[in-house]
Amino acid sequence: MSNKVAVLMRKAPYGSVYTAEGFRTIMGIAVFEMDISVVFLDDGVYALLKNQQPGKLDMKPLGDGFPMLEEFGVRKFYVHGESLSERGLGVDDLVVPAEVVSGERIAEILAESGKVLPF
Amino acid sequence: MKMAIMILEGPYQHQAVDSAYHFVKAAQARGHEIVGLFLYTDGVNNANKFIQPPGERNISQRLDDLGAEGLPIVACTACSKFRGMRPEIKVENVRLSGLGQLANFLQEADRMITFGD
Repeated sequence: MSNKVAVLMRKAPYGSVYTAEGFRTIMGIAVFEMDISVVFLDDGVYALLKNQQPGKLDMKPLGDGFPMLEEFGVRKFYVHGESLSERGLGVDDLVVPAEVVSGERIAEILAESGKVLPF
Repeated sequence: MKMAIMILEGPYQHQAVDSAYHFVKAAQARGHEIVGLFLYTDGVNNANKFIQPPGERNISQRLDDLGAEGLPIVACTACSKFRGMRPEIKVENVRLSGLGQLANFLQEADRMITFGD
């Protein structure tokens, strides 16, 4: 038994509900004193972009929520470096100070967490 | 090993709930304990008691049977509201609850297995 969990954000923030629900899950379980690592990879890195304006999709901007998570004790944000660079993005484009990590490091984070919630 | 299950997809469109069902059966047969099954997002639609598939496996009946055998099955309350999955529509052995229940399953289990896209 452990309260460690990794939440994987793999998909674009709009177009399907997964990333939004991943965020809602983090909020929902953080209050139960879970030790949460949030990992962004593939199109999931877009969720952290600054200045998202999805109003024309009838959606609220998802990026605004991530900086608030620190108030709920969620401070471990990891972003896959290759996913960022493949998309022409850098850490300055992101709404939170995420640690840029390799795929090998992500594998370690998942193994250390034991439990993984992939979205 | 203690395991918890999460299902993110609805019935018949996607294999997720079918794979989860067979996974639960196989894991239990090998002596593992499934501490709970959480229906999330479209996964809540698997609990619809009015599902009537002509000549095929009945997914909500399968879940109901697992619940009757003692497996705690929970459908996310908020997801259910978004999808009109009212309490009177769901099968008897699935109950509605919030993400706190997912946190409980996470804390109880050694591993969390997600079936989704």
